[in-house]
Amino acid sequence: MNFATREIAKTTIGGTVIGGTSVNYKTGKWRESRPVFVSRMAPCREACPAGIDIQRFLWEARHQRFKKAWEIIMEENPFPSICGRVCGHPCEEACNRKEFDEPLAIHALERFVGDFSLENRIQITPPKTNRRESIAIIGSGPAGLSCAYHLRRLGYGVKVFERSTIPGGMLRWGIPDYRLPGHILDQEIEKIRRMGVTVETRVSHRKDFLRGCLKEFKAIFLALGSQKDRKMGIPGEDLPGVWSGLDFLREVKEKRSLHLGPQVTVVGGGNTAIDVARTALRLGSKANLLYRRTRSEMPAVTEEVDQALAEGVRIEFLTSPISISKVNGGKRFRVECVRNRLGDPGPDGRKNPIPISGSNFFIEMDNIFTAIGEAIEPCDLLDPLKWTEEGIAGDEWGRTKVPGIFAGGDVTAGPRSVSHAIGSGKKAALAIDAFIHGGDSEKIKPFLLGKKGGFSMAQTLNPPSSNHRNDQVVRFEVLKDVYFEHRPRKRNLQLVTSERIKSFDEVNLGFTENMAVEEAERCFRCGECSLCENCYSFCPDSAVSWNDQQEIFEIDYDFCKGCGICANECCSHCMETVPEEKW
Amino acid sequence: MPERDEQELFARGHRACPGCGEAIATRWILKATGRNVIIVSPTGCLETFTSPYMFSPWRVPWIHPLFENGAAVASGIEAALKHKGRQEIRVVVIGGDGATFDIGIGGLSGMFERGHRVVYICYDNEAYMNTGNQRCSSTPLFASTTTEPAGRLFPGKNRPKKDMASIAIAHGIDYVATTSVAYPKDLFNKVQKALTMIGPSYIQVHTPCVGGWGYPSEKTVEIGRLAVESGLVPLFEWQEGRIVNFHKIRKKVPVTDYLKPQKRYSHLFAEDRGKAELECLQAMADRNIERFGLAGLSGSSTTEADTA
Amino acid sequence: MKKAEILEGSMAVALAVKSCKPGVISAYPISPQTHIVEYLAKMVASGELKSEYVVADSEFSAASIIYGASAAGVRSYTASSSQGLLLMTEVIYNAAGTRLPMVFTGVNRAISAPISIQVDHQDTLSLRDSGLIQFYVENGQEAYDAHIQAFRLAEDSEILLPTMICMDGWVLTHGYEPVELIDQELIDTFLSPYHPIHYLDPENPLTFGSYAEDDILMELKYMIQAAMDQAKKKIVEIASEFHRITGHSGMRLVETYRTEGAEVLLMGMGSMVGTMKEAVDRMREDGIAVGLIKVCCYRPFPSEAIFESCNGARAVAVLDQGFSMGSEGPLSLDVKAALSNLKTPAVFSFITGLAGREVTIETIQRITSTVRKGIDSDQIIRGSQWVDLNQSIL
Repeated sequence: MNFATREIAKTTIGGTVIGGTSVNYKTGKWRESRPVFVSRMAPCREACPAGIDIQRFLWEARHQRFKKAWEIIMEENPFPSICGRVCGHPCEEACNRKEFDEPLAIHALERFVGDFSLENRIQITPPKTNRRESIAIIGSGPAGLSCAYHLRRLGYGVKVFERSTIPGGMLRWGIPDYRLPGHILDQEIEKIRRMGVTVETRVSHRKDFLRGCLKEFKAIFLALGSQKDRKMGIPGEDLPGVWSGLDFLREVKEKRSLHLGPQVTVVGGGNTAIDVARTALRLGSKANLLYRRTRSEMPAVTEEVDQALAEGVRIEFLTSPISISKVNGGKRFRVECVRNRLGDPGPDGRKNPIPISGSNFFIEMDNIFTAIGEAIEPCDLLDPLKWTEEGIAGDEWGRTKVPGIFAGGDVTAGPRSVSHAIGSGKKAALAIDAFIHGGDSEKIKPFLLGKKGGFSMAQTLNPPSSNHRNDQVVRFEVLKDVYFEHRPRKRNLQLVTSERIKSFDEVNLGFTENMAVEEAERCFRCGECSLCENCYSFCPDSAVSWNDQQEIFEIDYDFCKGCGICANECCSHCMETVPEEKW
Repeated sequence: MPERDEQELFARGHRACPGCGEAIATRWILKATGRNVIIVSPTGCLETFTSPYMFSPWRVPWIHPLFENGAAVASGIEAALKHKGRQEIRVVVIGGDGATFDIGIGGLSGMFERGHRVVYICYDNEAYMNTGNQRCSSTPLFASTTTEPAGRLFPGKNRPKKDMASIAIAHGIDYVATTSVAYPKDLFNKVQKALTMIGPSYIQVHTPCVGGWGYPSEKTVEIGRLAVESGLVPLFEWQEGRIVNFHKIRKKVPVTDYLKPQKRYSHLFAEDRGKAELECLQAMADRNIERFGLAGLSGSSTTEADTA
Repeated sequence: MKKAEILEGSMAVALAVKSCKPGVISAYPISPQTHIVEYLAKMVASGELKSEYVVADSEFSAASIIYGASAAGVRSYTASSSQGLLLMTEVIYNAAGTRLPMVFTGVNRAISAPISIQVDHQDTLSLRDSGLIQFYVENGQEAYDAHIQAFRLAEDSEILLPTMICMDGWVLTHGYEPVELIDQELIDTFLSPYHPIHYLDPENPLTFGSYAEDDILMELKYMIQAAMDQAKKKIVEIASEFHRITGHSGMRLVETYRTEGAEVLLMGMGSMVGTMKEAVDRMREDGIAVGLIKVCCYRPFPSEAIFESCNGARAVAVLDQGFSMGSEGPLSLDVKAALSNLKTPAVFSFITGLAGREVTIETIQRITSTVRKGIDSDQIIRGSQWVDLNQSIL
């Protein structure tokens, strides 16, 4: 190789060389493998039934771009202020930061962003296209409204039919105000209306109604919910005064005057049971709860149980009622209970309660409520479909055995929660769109998020670039925690304990802006660049540089030798090395 | 701290091995010095891979004299700048452990003793790496090199590593520090501190070497970190007659975590042979930790933050 | 021009160096050079001389220090002898290759082993391959004048090579002689401040000391030789200017003494030449056709000048005060190479005066006689003859 020239030799004496000339020698040709930036799936997003791009909204929040954070949530979930109050936050269970110190308070941050949008009256941008077709949505709970929202965004005409006097479904009737204030629900629903979604109330579910819908609309989404309490199957449960927990909560919401005695007992361990107990406290009674397993198997959200206990609810674990009778001249109830022990796990993984013979005992109370789970109500609308007490049979995209009729939310079999309902409404929207416009195959090509069944509407509509590895979920072991600093998780502001049961005022008061920003900063950004700068700091060849325009790090492949230090030290596992194609 | 988009004074296109620790160190040294500096590099890896005729990555003035006279030449440059009244231009030597611990130690001692305002930075990859991993006084105990290899008779180097930092301290110079390429912000801060000194400073940078130590190129920083976190390489600062600062280890690792990935120690892990040697090295690390108080609380922050 | 003063040779050198205002001086003691650096130290300490004076930890460091200073664009100077010069050798090669001007005084002294502090030329002769320009001076005046011109020569943009003034230890350094000093203003006119064309400067970042491969190394080395060739012309130009400004005669490549019609030419370097001149005078009085060529500039070797000066003589007797073990006296090797195309004169090589063994007029007369017998008998003596060896020890 002869690089020397007369000109260069003449201008420098004694072998002296002008500095900085090494840029003429492209060391990139040495490379055997090439580091690239990729996007991987964060476990929080994989776990979210609504498929929210959690770390992207946290990123915007930490930079105080709350409107943008809200828009990101709204791409998948139209109800951040609702979910931020009532969701069971599986995202936090999956959060990698849990292995380091404490998980991110995603739930509270979602609420903050949602409330920010409500306080600042941020409107949803109306849909760009307007399609000819219209879809009927039966039921204005979270599943129905979510489906309505996504269909409207896709440009379809949407009409929601609600049986009750006001929309909201379970959100309205099944969740007390101290958890989800009515005005927040109203505002969230109003946003949907303003998009051009019509909501008709007081619609009855008769057979000719369904026939009419089939004629007028291109497709129907059944989101009837499951608002009937399951029977306990014990003698005495049909006695007058043995009340369904859900019915009780509805009565409270409808502001009917109720008289409860001093001692209330609730049977069950889910959110409804807890809600009934805490509502009873607020109406002036003492409340206790009978649950057949232990605390760790309780399906209710952990904070709800904590708050119930703090408010004075007594929980009898490993206790099952076996018969109910009336005493005191019919004014009180008497329940025979038995203690349980935990046996082998059942089909859902939870250990089965086994009664301990000879452990029977009696308790007395003035009121007794059941809240051991919901069942769907039979009605004419279900006639053409295959269904059981568990729910309507259908696939995970909401398709039933009748083409054109879709179902989602609590009315279908599967996990019952607000976020699942919202997710199922979104899935059905995509399925309905495929049904109407997808051609013969009706193939749905969703952008799946990991392996838990969630998908992204935004990324299905706008597929991102090829460096997205949405099937690779980042686990804690691959993060470089040696570079992280410990910081405690921010705690929600809350009503003073002594004040709580005096009213139905909201107990959780959320975050301030400072708290939200500081908490969002704790996010590790699993699978996305967290600007840790390690790639830039450690590149021996100065080949990683900062692109100020696009706000990303870039690799100069003319000079990158492929050593791989950048990928090895990447804090958030957003790099991979691929073999270099030889020139 | 330097800006992300500042111009790199150590340009691309140098011929270092992929994953070279010295290159990382040099980038950060130049970030700390800025443009107003003259760099002297005695013969070694850094000199060889940065100065093939016609191509130079040095965007600052740089001179390669000989192998043993980095410190002496720097002394002359410093005197010349003093004569010209241009002492705002700083003189920094970046030399390897061979040039510093062995062949150049005389000149270095002279420079320290005379009190020149020079920052002498030694990148310590623990052997003569430019010529292919020969034993140096900086080679640690039991490491295998080509001129003192591990074999049936010897377990690699049979003598402890020369404590060059203590030699620098014994000269009573203004500032002595040890650091590592795995902690670039620490290196940056220490170089900047050295630049404020009136007299000589000595900084020793522990620098893993892909080819010489024998590990895959992507692990340079990881191995550097393990060395420090095991306690074998204490990072400290010495000033005004005493140790003023120690880098606390967040989570201690056993020395085997650090030694096992390196080929130069593979003889200690072949069957049961190296057990006594490993225990000896672990004892050394434990002694360091105890003597210098390196143990930090697990979960507490270190003295120098390593992320932006 | 000032009146002549009786000065110790070392002091004359120190005054010459002081008048050239070097920016950096480095020093390390070794006999017999130490007086020079001691005088300079006193001048710095009193404030007369505004130089950075660095007392080195070895000669290697001393040379390295001024190498660094020169690279930083500052005029620099040091002195050494014997073992010290050997230790500086690596740096001198380096300076020549990097094309940095530095001025040295090489105070000649024998090289160990066995150790001796007496004079001979072995130390500076061993540097002859390095690219160092070398002058050998005969007396204190020449030493004074040569140093001033040396700075000018070394710093010339076409030369840029380290330059050494070689002077015999003890004889010249510690002897007192009359020396005429030059006014400072005249020296300032002759020698302007050093303006380096390439140096270490943050405004113009250069990389010194590159690694050269086979595509460029030969050319870079050739350029040193080319500079050496150019130096032969430069020396004459500078000498002429020196004379014009100061009135003192400048450096020459060679000096001829009574060579007209000479049959035998003696050749030598250094202070021994003074004795040789006396011997020539005596022999001429006796009618012997003998002359003298004093080699002043040894590197670059003035082959052309020697060629011309030797024209017409029948024999040349080279008196070497050093030896290239396994071969011949170094000066005679160079002379033989310069005259290799001629049949005459025949070159005879004599090794004299090692480690201070005195070279007397009588010795020189005997050498001349040997040579004359040699040409008459047409017998060419190969190799060098070691003069006055004590055969009883061997």
